[in-house]
Amino acid sequence: MKYTARLPETNVNVTPTSPLRDFFLLLSAAIGIIVGIYLLLGLAVDFIVPRLSPEIEQKIGGVFLNSMAASDTSPEKTKTVQMLVDRLQEQSTELPYKLTVHLYDSPVVNAVALPGGNIIVFSGLLEKMESENELAFVLAHETGHYANKDHLRGLGRALVFLLISATLFGPDSGIGNLLVQSLNVTEMGFSRSQESHADEFALEVLNRCYGHVGGATDFFKKLNAEKKTGRLKHYFSTHPENLKRIAHLKNYSRSKGFTEKSLLKLSPTLTEKEQTEKK
Amino acid sequence: MDFIILITLIAIGYFAGTWAEKRHYRSIEQREKTYLHLPAITVKHVDVDDAKVQQVKLVYGSAVISIDYFKRILAGLRNIFGGTVKSYETLIDRARREALLRMKEMASGSAMIVNVRIETSTIGKKAHRKSVGCLEAIAYGTAIFIEK
Repeated sequence: MKYTARLPETNVNVTPTSPLRDFFLLLSAAIGIIVGIYLLLGLAVDFIVPRLSPEIEQKIGGVFLNSMAASDTSPEKTKTVQMLVDRLQEQSTELPYKLTVHLYDSPVVNAVALPGGNIIVFSGLLEKMESENELAFVLAHETGHYANKDHLRGLGRALVFLLISATLFGPDSGIGNLLVQSLNVTEMGFSRSQESHADEFALEVLNRCYGHVGGATDFFKKLNAEKKTGRLKHYFSTHPENLKRIAHLKNYSRSKGFTEKSLLKLSPTLTEKEQTEKK
Repeated sequence: MDFIILITLIAIGYFAGTWAEKRHYRSIEQREKTYLHLPAITVKHVDVDDAKVQQVKLVYGSAVISIDYFKRILAGLRNIFGGTVKSYETLIDRARREALLRMKEMASGSAMIVNVRIETSTIGKKAHRKSVGCLEAIAYGTAIFIEK
């Protein structure tokens, strides 16, 4: 056999292709799929929320409580607030579970409705309260979120992942903790209409509980007054347009014929402790 | 910030990788022409007059080629959807041809190289999970030197 020196004419091992075109084609396909999943998750939230059973909700709530390690530093205070919430719950619509108060040491002036009926009250909020009615309104407002299931919708798309992690791995799995930490509970946002619905709910409960709606707007007025100090900026970002809310509350109570009477003092356990803390 | 770093790495990978690849192919094609006269074949037995054989020698050449960041991302995307990983084809092609050329270089002066084999392996892939993989090709054979 004769050897003929010759180079191959074409290279069969390398496909002639434009790598950039390939890259953008594949990338856009991948992004398309991710966007599709994201949109589907949004729809899934609306689908899941009305169908979630209280038991599963409790499980999801357990994930939150585990990772937040609710520091019930002052059981007395917690008990007092709990009693108030119990009374409010009696006056409000039926919830499939009992509301539980957890006191959390933090300067944040806020209260958060977590799944499973767990209300987190930040100590910063208690310090700002001057009357029982005022505190009751804030707590009833959170109860309103439960009644409207806003607390689940507020979690947004994370709800789907939380649901999967809570049902598959139980409340104290690493994945659940990771999810919760990425959420930042204090910044859970509600829409304006969700907030005003909860406000209306709170007014009704307040009226049923005390016979009048005094103190309902105190908290928002206070927030408005402190707006310039910047300390409560955070609250404003999630609860905007306080003046409008005050106006809405006043209109609503006028239309319902609610009256305003003198306010009840805050329970001594809440104020006393506060004073000793300050010393 | 992470996103900017990623984009920069991909861009660097694309431009540097393309440049290096073009240069390498030019060099490969040029050297292939130079060594065209030296046959490298896979058969074990050739008809050569034993008396004329001066020397028989093991010759080998190996080349390590690294993938660039762009190719890695492209192959990663390909991993999702499946199909031929075209971005790795040139790597293997370059590594094998380079290894063959180096083997021929080692065998310079010989009449032919018989029983040529090419093997391929990956390098440095498990040392660090995110490290860019390298590809090694080694070509070896028996060089036969014949009296002229």
